[in-house]
Amino acid sequence: MLGELGFVLLAGVKFGALYALAALGLVVVHKATKTVNFAHGAFAMLGAFASFLIVVKWQWAYWAAYLLVPPAIGLVAAALEFVVLRRLRQADMFTVVIATIFLGIALAEAFRLTYNTELLAVPALFTGPPLVVEGLFITRDTAWVIAGALATAVACIILFRYGRFGRGMRAMAANIRGAQLCGYSIDGVYMLAWFLGGALAGLTGVFIAPVTGVSVDLAISIITAGFVAGVIGGFDSPQGAIVGGLLLGIAESLAAAYVSSAMKNCVSFLLLFVVLMWRPEGLFAERAGRSV
Amino acid sequence: MSERRPDVSALGPALLILFCAAVGLKLGSYPQYVAAIAIISMLAGIALVVLVGLGRCITLASGSFMAIGAYVSTLAVTDLRIPYLATLVLAAAAGGCAGWLIAFPGTRFRGHNLAMVTLVFQSVCIILIRESTWLTGGAEGIHVPAPRLFGLTVTSDRSFLILIGIAAAAMTLLVTVLVRGRFGKNLQAAAGNEIAAEAFGVSVRDYLTAAFIVSSATIGFAGALLAPRVRILDPDSFGVLDSIFMLAYPIVGGMQSIWGGLLGGGGLRVLPELLRPVADYQELFFATLVILVVLFFPGGLSDLIRRACALVVKQDRLPAAEPAPVERPPSPVPAKYKQYADELLVVEGVDKHFDALHAVNGASLRVPVGGIHGLIGPNGAGKTSLFNIISGFLDADGGKVAFADTSLLGLRARDRIRLGMTRTFQNVAIFGQLSCLENVIIGLGRNAVLPAMAASFDGFAGGMASARERRRAFVALESVGLADQAQARAGSLSLGDQRRLELARAIVSEPRLILLDEPVSGVAVSEVEDLRQLLLRINAERQIAMLVVEHNIPFVTMLCRSLSVMGAGRILAEGKPAEVVSLPIVRQLYFGEEVAA
Amino acid sequence: MRNFNVRDVLVGACSLAAGAALIAGVPSAARAQVNGVTPTEISIGAIGALTGPLAFIGAPGRDSLSMAFDEINAKGGVCGRKLHLDFEAASSPAESIAAAKKLVEEDKVFIFVLASGSTGAAAAADYVRQVGVPTYNLYGSTPIIRNPFAKNVFNGAVVPVEVSAGALIKMFSDGGYKPKKFGILAGTYAFPQATLKAAEDIFKRDKADFTVEQFDIGARDFTSQLVSLQRQNVDSILVLGSFSEAGFAIKQAREMGMTNIRWVVDGSAVSSAIVPILGNADGIRGYYNAPAFPGQTPATREFEARLKKFLGSVPQGRPSIYDLIGYGSGYVVAEAIQATHCQLTRGNLINAWSHLKDAGPTKRGGLDVTFPESYTPTDHQGVYRIGAAIVKDGKWRVYRVINKP
Repeated sequence: MLGELGFVLLAGVKFGALYALAALGLVVVHKATKTVNFAHGAFAMLGAFASFLIVVKWQWAYWAAYLLVPPAIGLVAAALEFVVLRRLRQADMFTVVIATIFLGIALAEAFRLTYNTELLAVPALFTGPPLVVEGLFITRDTAWVIAGALATAVACIILFRYGRFGRGMRAMAANIRGAQLCGYSIDGVYMLAWFLGGALAGLTGVFIAPVTGVSVDLAISIITAGFVAGVIGGFDSPQGAIVGGLLLGIAESLAAAYVSSAMKNCVSFLLLFVVLMWRPEGLFAERAGRSV
Repeated sequence: MSERRPDVSALGPALLILFCAAVGLKLGSYPQYVAAIAIISMLAGIALVVLVGLGRCITLASGSFMAIGAYVSTLAVTDLRIPYLATLVLAAAAGGCAGWLIAFPGTRFRGHNLAMVTLVFQSVCIILIRESTWLTGGAEGIHVPAPRLFGLTVTSDRSFLILIGIAAAAMTLLVTVLVRGRFGKNLQAAAGNEIAAEAFGVSVRDYLTAAFIVSSATIGFAGALLAPRVRILDPDSFGVLDSIFMLAYPIVGGMQSIWGGLLGGGGLRVLPELLRPVADYQELFFATLVILVVLFFPGGLSDLIRRACALVVKQDRLPAAEPAPVERPPSPVPAKYKQYADELLVVEGVDKHFDALHAVNGASLRVPVGGIHGLIGPNGAGKTSLFNIISGFLDADGGKVAFADTSLLGLRARDRIRLGMTRTFQNVAIFGQLSCLENVIIGLGRNAVLPAMAASFDGFAGGMASARERRRAFVALESVGLADQAQARAGSLSLGDQRRLELARAIVSEPRLILLDEPVSGVAVSEVEDLRQLLLRINAERQIAMLVVEHNIPFVTMLCRSLSVMGAGRILAEGKPAEVVSLPIVRQLYFGEEVAA
Repeated sequence: MRNFNVRDVLVGACSLAAGAALIAGVPSAARAQVNGVTPTEISIGAIGALTGPLAFIGAPGRDSLSMAFDEINAKGGVCGRKLHLDFEAASSPAESIAAAKKLVEEDKVFIFVLASGSTGAAAAADYVRQVGVPTYNLYGSTPIIRNPFAKNVFNGAVVPVEVSAGALIKMFSDGGYKPKKFGILAGTYAFPQATLKAAEDIFKRDKADFTVEQFDIGARDFTSQLVSLQRQNVDSILVLGSFSEAGFAIKQAREMGMTNIRWVVDGSAVSSAIVPILGNADGIRGYYNAPAFPGQTPATREFEARLKKFLGSVPQGRPSIYDLIGYGSGYVVAEAIQATHCQLTRGNLINAWSHLKDAGPTKRGGLDVTFPESYTPTDHQGVYRIGAAIVKDGKWRVYRVINKP
């Protein structure tokens, strides 16, 4: 029976790691700009698509996808920040959320128009025989996705904690006026945050492409999972995003296995609901305070 | 002067729908079908104007409300044998219930969290419909029977269009009356400025809940109209993407008026029919359109049309249309006020801690009936905390606050207006979207949801009560010198005029006490004296007592009859203004003068 | 007392005008022809999804129908007239009815083709039954389209679910395999649910040992369902869903060590695109609504080349079954028109169509890529045959044809 539970947990951790990565990108943007980017899922979908182009269409080496896609998507995100979001700096959150929702739709549709197909398959990076641990088969790709996604996430946290950029973003989030006085340019930090958020989305896309394939649905499924993970962990806490992602992945997997497959979607919603009602600032909020 | 005139222009939107239906009847059967579908979308559009435009709540659950309406109506016809017309009401009720349900979390969140909570609701709803195969036929859908009305079966496009046109027009009239009347104004106020709304008895949560209910009931109704038109109901026709595109209706059409909902809903539904040759690009086009509107025309289509019309006809406010002010109604101190003691407001030993900070430390003060009392003190002295405790925006840790012998502690901010206590705000908190007159009418109080809805209908019918309210509000505006601005948008006034407007709003309910929070902060020096005269006149004519928190010492000393000085959470001195400011302790506090021992 | 505000009136008036313009603007163009036939042209209307999750059906439908019509026209057309395709995009039931009404009532097409799947087609089918226009259902397999029987509705290459479910179950015992316990993995959306019902009926009738697990549309993680199937020692699994869902389910099953399973997948999953998901897909079976897979025979290879030329480039996964069927159906339409002896009325057409025998591309020199279609006045199902397909060396191929059970 350990084997069965092991498979369920392994799948949970695998998807959880991907959710965590998606949530991390949302957190990066939210920390600096106080907005949740609903186009994040579309960015990740573009990242997965770019990795399809590199790996399948152009037959380049796989590492090129890991190297090129994140900065490319980051640039797209930064450009959109410059063209669309910058004009809405003075607008309320309501307008910004609407703008990013429809930005996401526009990106997903643009993709669908260039490649009208149900699904694009991308092969895995590692294809050797699976590792066998205590009767549990762990494919090399699964191990790579879990380890790679989590390592990226940890690297991001360190960057936040100790990098100049991280300090700037935290200062910005705490007090825009004050941060400006300390020499941080709002435009610079906002754009950098969107670049980083976009790059993380791109990386999420590269990691997720072999696991789910590339399709238009990817945009909505990533933003939903990433958002729920972000809410669980608190939109201001990168550590929270990781824990939230893993928690969500495992909870989904367990619910699907031991309750019913329809519960799989419901459970993420249930988690969102409970956390929002009980601790709207998330389980790992850095500072206490009402966040509405 | 005809005082009781019904609000004819509220009929406009319903007439537009009937007109669309009438035009459709002249055309072939395919345009009739399109017209029917477009009218249903118009209904969804106005429903979303209520929630998204006026309430400023993002909703991604519209598809599920429409599904609820459609399924409830269809199942009631097929399984319960209820007549179709009755199921329209049932569908609206079911939609309303769903709206009420989602309002629980919905009123607690804004922005992205609300978007996500509604998205959750949408997804769970569709999953439930899909999983309840025994009831809904599951993913494969169910067949909708042709509706039967008065023994006739509706099958032709023409009769469907007539049915849908009339039903939708009726619903539109209902929503229009609510939106244009008191309810809509209060909802806009609640969404525009929560604190000010609460201070005048508009419960933000109640109003947003009502907005969710009204909007989802309307969408449920629209769903019931749609069901027999599409013949097959399946859960995937009401998915997340449909909800997102419905959200585009009010945004593209214009969020602030019913016209916007009609234009957005109708336009975005007919557009794909016109754009058939380039159908591939439809969704991309819609999404881009929304982003462009958000960036460049935040008012949407209806606002563009409005501005274009304004260019054609240089028409402006209509002061002449307002009742010429009769003689000012006498405002004696009502008899019941006299039975109380001289002291109207009594604050005793109030304490407030913020963690380690003892913000208010045993503070006491008194405001006599008809008096003007000032509260001064340097920054951080605890004035604002004390003021917020009195006005109900902060809970005290201990002590006593009584107004006309009624304890205020534990009473919500919005209940104070009932007792005869109103306030103004340090950062002017007017409702910028509304006209000056509408701002003042909100100041009359009695803003609970149901009475406001009733008032909406009364206003539509040109009832006496509404006429009286408008007259009272106009008189209040006149007494602060803003009568000629009655129809102007409050947001367009100068800061000084906005302060006057706040005053008019604070006095219109004939309160006994106004709490004035830094009434001249930010006001041009030249206007300060005018405001002081105005306050003195109000005090003299209407016998309204005032508690003033202010930094401008000369202004306070010349306005007030008594003064309290706060420092480090305590009341340090009390008495006549001139005496108090010359006390050594006050001079030290304010001017840093050394006190000669 | 809200007075009659001039500005309100103006806005109202402008809106009225805009509304009128919108409604009047709905194309109500050329009505010269009575039933879609002019001396030089016969217009054929079709609807299908070009956007959204079902675009993978509609787009091939549009492409392959126009390719077939182009070929027919290049050889002189039918009855001295060119065939003209009028394709309207529609996905939801509301859009499908609107598109159908436009084609039938405004454009007055001679024949109406349903090139969309499931509910969209079902909603429109209900409408065409009412107006009686000759209707040709290309891809819809659900009973809603077929029942009740209508004189004017013809169902082409896609067999009813009872037939396909029967064929799928037969495929489990091909090659001497003896299944002990069946598992069904079915999507919760319309397509798979219809087949699921039919398959369950057959299993129950045969008193077979089976168990059902469900997944949501677009699912990518099947661990929980597979764990449950593994627990019950299932040795034969039927996957009802799209190729992407089937692909990821099979991939994950292998990763969990479920290697000795016979996999049979629904027709919608029999696509060359399943191979790159799995890497090695050999041994997977499924049914195919055509006698040969693209690339399997000279005819299908030629078809692929022509489609490539016609479209410029062919996306991954195409030509798909929807391309083959669309192409073959285009020729069936031509033959039905020809069978009226050029007395081009709708009544004649329905009558002639009801007596078609072995209609298909070959008679007019087209490529033989579909099963020939035959109709009788009481049976409007054109094809009952189905190809049993298997993946061999990374390529699907039809290994036998299952006739009407």
